[in-house]
Amino acid sequence: MSLAKPAMRGLLGKRLRFHLPIAFALSLVAAAAFKYGVTEPRKQAYADFYKQYDTTKEFNNMREAGVFESVRPTGK
Amino acid sequence: MTHASVFRGSHKCTTMRSNSRPCGQTTPLASRCYSHAKVETDEEFDARWVTYFSKPDIDAWELKKGMNTLIGYDLVPEPKILDSALRACRRLNDLASAIRILEAVKDKSGPHKDIYPYLIQELQPTLIELGISTPEDLGMDKL
Repeated sequence: MSLAKPAMRGLLGKRLRFHLPIAFALSLVAAAAFKYGVTEPRKQAYADFYKQYDTTKEFNNMREAGVFESVRPTGK
Repeated sequence: MTHASVFRGSHKCTTMRSNSRPCGQTTPLASRCYSHAKVETDEEFDARWVTYFSKPDIDAWELKKGMNTLIGYDLVPEPKILDSALRACRRLNDLASAIRILEAVKDKSGPHKDIYPYLIQELQPTLIELGISTPEDLGMDKL
């Protein structure tokens, strides 16, 4: 039984025309997913943390803990 | 068929061109957006390459160059082009290149497993006449 002639031209072009738009779309989806799944929550977490942050109180806590060289803990 | 230089920066141009064709056939070789150059048909392309390999005094360099250029295109060469190339190998007493050409077209087919058997079927008379063994005959298709 003799074989029929298959398509022999433009095979790569056909494949690229099909797969490249999908690849670009998926990359954009991946980027969007990372942005809204990771970076935005992270930024929000930082914002929320610093919204209620009392700089003076925390500075004094650090000072008493003795981590600074420029100021010694108060007292002895 | 899209030209090999689809990878050399003109990718979007040639694919856009093919998408805009209403007849649904793939763009023939050497087609660029905005170019007024006459587009070569598949038949003209094939005839050109058959003629290239049919040169009676073709030399080894021209054979290798021709095959390398041909393999660079986004197509699997037609049986008649391969027939002409195999006969050129015969004139050059180059059996190694003849078998290599068969390996090359098998590789060019990529995932399309129906192309190589078809080519071997079409080339069978030539292979027998010129005494060329296929890589499968020689067990060279297995690792």
